[in-house]
Formats: sequence, structure tokens, C-alpha cells
Amino acid sequence: MVPLENYLVLSAIIFSLGVYGVLARRNAVLILMSVELMLNAVSLNFIAFAAYLDPDKITGAIFAVFVITVAAAEVGLALAIVIRLFRNRATSNVDEAAIMKW
Amino acid sequence: MGAEQAWLLAAVPAGFFLVLALFGRQLPRGGDYLGVLSIVSAFVLFIVVLVDFLDTPGKLGPVVNSMEWSNVGEFKLRMGTFIDPITITMFGVITIVSVMVNVFSVGYMKGEPRYFWFFAVLQLFVASMLLLVMADNLLLVYIAWELVGVCSFLLIGFYWEKRSATEAAKKAFITTRLGDVGLLIGIILFWRATGTFNIQEIIHAAEQGQIGDTYLFVSIMFVFLGCMGKSAQVPFHVWLPDAMEGPTPVSALIHAATMVVAGVYLTARLLPIFEVADGALLVVTLVGLTTALLTGFMALAQTDIKKVLAYSTVGQLGFMFVALGTGHPAIAIFHLTTHAFFKALLFLGSGSVIHATHHNQEMDKLGGLWRKMPITGTTFFIGSLALAGLPPLAGFWSKDEIFVALNDKWGAWAVLILGFAAVMTAFYTTRLFIRTFMGKPMDEQVHEHTHESGFVMTGPLMFLALLAAVSGLVVFHQVGKGLGFPGGITEFIFLPGEHPHRYHIDWGFAAASLAMATVGIWGAAWMYWGNSLKRSTALAEWNPGVYRMLKSKFYFDELYQAVIDRGVLGFSYLVSWFDRYVVNDTGVDGSAQVTGFTGGVLKYLQTGRVPNYAMAIALGVIGLTVAGLVVRG
Repeated sequence: MVPLENYLVLSAIIFSLGVYGVLARRNAVLILMSVELMLNAVSLNFIAFAAYLDPDKITGAIFAVFVITVAAAEVGLALAIVIRLFRNRATSNVDEAAIMKW
Repeated sequence: MGAEQAWLLAAVPAGFFLVLALFGRQLPRGGDYLGVLSIVSAFVLFIVVLVDFLDTPGKLGPVVNSMEWSNVGEFKLRMGTFIDPITITMFGVITIVSVMVNVFSVGYMKGEPRYFWFFAVLQLFVASMLLLVMADNLLLVYIAWELVGVCSFLLIGFYWEKRSATEAAKKAFITTRLGDVGLLIGIILFWRATGTFNIQEIIHAAEQGQIGDTYLFVSIMFVFLGCMGKSAQVPFHVWLPDAMEGPTPVSALIHAATMVVAGVYLTARLLPIFEVADGALLVVTLVGLTTALLTGFMALAQTDIKKVLAYSTVGQLGFMFVALGTGHPAIAIFHLTTHAFFKALLFLGSGSVIHATHHNQEMDKLGGLWRKMPITGTTFFIGSLALAGLPPLAGFWSKDEIFVALNDKWGAWAVLILGFAAVMTAFYTTRLFIRTFMGKPMDEQVHEHTHESGFVMTGPLMFLALLAAVSGLVVFHQVGKGLGFPGGITEFIFLPGEHPHRYHIDWGFAAASLAMATVGIWGAAWMYWGNSLKRSTALAEWNPGVYRMLKSKFYFDELYQAVIDRGVLGFSYLVSWFDRYVVNDTGVDGSAQVTGFTGGVLKYLQTGRVPNYAMAIALGVIGLTVAGLVVRG
């Protein structure tokens, strides 16, 4: 059986990739995808811990399902915002959507 | 129904007040008949209480009826009525004068705006005044005390369209309030020392020496401050002459016969404490003497007939305090009673004159009214002589009693001062009568249109004139007995523990008293006979400085104005400076400025760029994680 540490390391790598994407990308759609990566890393953590620490219960799996649901809802909302942004400014570059300030 | 149910006396007028205040506007004639009915029923109740009180076997002991009002922890408050001869006498004075004033008002106030409201407040006043004199504890006294103050305020300011009336109402309220604060402090001090508000228990404690000497003196002086304010003693006298802005029946009832004697009543009620407290009686006497003397001078130069009567009232209240200062409440209450009758008569008489001359109350426009208004003139004549102190009218007997007691207690110096005040009383009273009713009219036009008032006004005048003429005679043992009082009024009212003294004529003092009255009357008659101002003008011009001083009432008002201008306004300026620059500019505006400045600086963190926020979140998470690990160790 693959040890738990491997899952955790994989999860940490995926999460860091997601963080990097969110910080480095300027395209709104790519940022969204990076956020999805971070969420998936979290789901992976849930399932790994559930399987190793308490294999009789499915608590972790339920949480993972919730996370997927939230992620889907979040993407629906965020893509709507991105579309509005694109319609108004003809761009999906977040640097150009900087009018919400003093 | 007996003396235990005396609370009904206050409850009935209070009920009529509610009816009149709520529905008076809708009632025909403004419900004035309800006002008269209310007072008459109070009077009937008074008779019932009086009969019951005199019939009670035993030695005319007080009738107490109280109930538990509140019970909080250690503290129990009982409130109720305490009926003794002083209360009974006050009941009589209040109800009789109120009946007369109410009937008179029906004629005098006819056609005035807010007619119903006048009668409503009158009922409230009577209810509170009756409550004041029957209360068995100081807290209830204080409540009633403020209630009569409010009624006085409302009635002085009855013509609130007139600026002077509202000013006078304010002045009366604030001036008496100065004293009332003292009264409240005094009540609290007594409560602290004895743990009770009950008057009899406080007196008992004071007599047993349970209260320290200085403490007792200070607290009773605070209470006396309230009495001075309400009874308009120097230096609080300034409000009473101004209170004449109110309708004249109000001046008769509240500012001559009843409310202003509340101070005299309370002092009489607490007199045993004044006797225990060293020097308190001397203070009372000195205040009374000062007031009687100063207001005597002030009344000399007034030309407004109501103002003369107002100063005379203050002076007579001074006489009552002098009587209290001798330790004889009976004499003070006796003078209070006779004074209430003849002064109410004089005020109502002046009201009749004012009504008849279409609101003219300046002597410079009156004169020669006796032929035009024979009933008013005659009754006013009787009232004037009673005030001046001619036998056998009421004022003579009570004043004479004061002189005898004063001589026994404080000696000749006090008698001389008060005697001089009595001479002046006779002088200005005569001046008032001559300049209003005799000689040639000063203003033909006013004289022309004057006519005698109707019966509804002259009736009360005649009844009060009768009382002013004969009420003094109750001082005699036989007369008092004949009326059902065991042993005349001076034996009816006396302090517990004091031996009642039976009245007998002291011929020396009677003669001196008569001489004083005669001197005053002759002096005024010589100076003003035929309503000629030749001699008085010559006198005024002979020493204009003195005349000006009298005319401006010893500059009391100017003094207060200066104190207010300098002291109060100066302090207010300081406070307003503090408010403006410290509270407002530093406290309120300052905090806003700090917030604004900080916001102005911090707003640049709000870049509007999503990556910046994302970076901040990421760094925040890392920072928090590191911090958590470090803390955990």
C-alpha cells in the first residue's frame, strides 16, 4: 500500500501549483483553473486521511463531494463574472479590471 | 365618614380637575359650575371632618390614617394623612377662600380664552394644597409642594400671549425652585439621620436628641430655605410681585391666601424641631423682621394696586414668620387665617376695580371710585382697615398677639422694628385706598366708563368682608367656645407639650398697636387726602435718591440681574468654551479627523488589482501558519 505521506506530498505539490497559478497568471480563466487545482488538492487530502485514519467510515468522501459541489457552484458564479467583465472591457486580464479602488 | 377619610378632600377636586381638563372644552360654559361644585363639595367635606374631629372624645389628638406605600428591603415607606388642629384650620382657610375665589372668577374671567383651563388648574391647585396640609410625611409634603408650584406657574403664565406673563411665571418657578432644592436636601438629611420621612417621628427623634446639634441645625435650615422660597421671604421675595401678572382671582387665592403660606405652614408643622435646634428660631425671627421691614418700604412707592398688595402680602408673611420665631404656631396660624380673609378680600376687590375699569390697575389713572362702585369700595375699606390693624377688625387681634409674644420672647428691639413695619403697613394701605377710591378721579375717561361689578363678584366680596371684620374675634375664649372650639383658636392650636395660653387683652400693647395703626393711617391721609399728590411729590423731590431706591425696590432685581449677568453668564461662557473647544473640537471632531486621516493613508492599500489581494491572502496564510508553528513550539 502506498504510504500516506505520498498522498500528502502530492496534495501539497498540487496545492502549491494552484497558489502559483493564482499569483502568477493574469488571465481570469486561468486563475479560476488554479483555484480548482487548490480545491482538488484539499479533496485529495480529505480522502487520503479518511482512508488511512478511519477506513470504516466515509466522512472524508462526503466532504470531498461537498468540496466538488462548492467548486462547481463557484465556477458557475465566477465564469459569469468573467463573461460580464469580457463583455464590458473586451479583456479577461485581471490587471485591467482595477477600477474597484480609491 | 370622619377625619380618617380626610384624603377625600384632596381626591374630590383632583377628580374634578381631570374631568375639567379633559372635557372642559366641550362642556357648556367651560364647566365653571363643575369648578364651583368641586370646591363646595370640598368645603362640605371640610365641615364633616371638622365636626367629626371636634366630636371625637379625648383631647383633640391628631387623627392619623396611613398605608404602606412601598416596602423595599429594609426601607418601608408609609404615606397618609395627619389631621390635627393646624391642618383643620388650614382646611378651613383653603376651602373658604377657594369657594369665594371660584365664584368670583365666574364673573371676572367671563369671556377670557381658555376659560375651562383656568377652572381646571384651580381645582388641581386646591387638591394639591389640601394634600400639602394633610400629609403626614415629608415626601408627600414635597410632592404636594411641587404640585402647588406647578399650578402657580401655570396660572401666573395664564395669559401666555403676554411676554411679561411668561417671564413672571418662569421667574416665580425658578426662584421658588432655589428654595425647593434646599427643602429636598433638608428632607434627605433628616431621612439619613432618622431613616424615616414621617414628620412626627422626625420631631420625636429631634426632641430625644438623636440627631447631632450641628446636623440638626443645618438640616432644619435647609428645610427653612424651602419655606422662605415658597413664602417669598427676603431675599426670595422678588417673584411674588411679578406673579401679579396672573389673573387677579389667582393672586387672591394662590399668591395671597394659600400657596404662599405653605412655608408658614411647614415651619409651624416642624416648629418643635426649630425649638430644639439652637438658634433656629432667631433665624426665623430675623428673616421675618427683615422681610416685614423691607417690603414695607417697597410698598410705599408702588403705583400698581396689585403690586402694593403683593408687597403687603410678603410683609404680612414676614409677620407670620416673626410669630413662628416666638415659638407660638397658634399665633402664626391665627394671623395666617385672618390675613387670608382680608387679603383675599383686598385682592378680589382690586380685581373688581380692574374688571370695572377695563384692566386698569395704575393708581395714576384711578381715584374717586367709591361713588361709582359702592359695594367694592365699602368692602375694600373694611379690608384695608383690617390690614392696617384697627380694632375690632381681624388684623388687629392677630397683629396684637404677635407683638405680645414677640416682646416676651425677644424683647423691645424686635417689637420696635415690627412696630415700624406695622406703621408702614397702615400707611401704604391707606394710601392705596385713598388713591383708588377717594378724591377726584385722575383720569376722567377711565372714571366715566366704570360701573359696579355684578353680584357674582360682589357677593364673595361681601362675605369675605364679613369674615375680615369678625374672624379676629374667635381669639376670645367665649367666641371660640361658642363656635365649638374648646377654648378659642389659640387654645385649639398649640404645640404638643406646650401649655395652651388663654387670650387676654394686654391693654398697653393694644393701645400701642392702635396708636401705630392710627399714626400710619393719619400720615397717609394727611399726605394723600383728596387724592392730591402735592405733598408726596414734594417729599419725593426733597430726597430723590431715597425715592428712587424705594421705587426700584432696593435694587434687588438689579442685583440679581447683575449676578446672573456676571456670575451665571460668565460661568456659562466658560462651560460653552469647554463644550466648543474641548468636547466638540477635540472630542467629537477630533476622533472624526483621526479616522479620516488614517483612512486617507490606508486607502492606498486598496489597489483594486486582484493579484495583489491574492498575494496578500497567500502571504497571510503563510504568515499565520508560521506564527502558529512558532507559538506551538
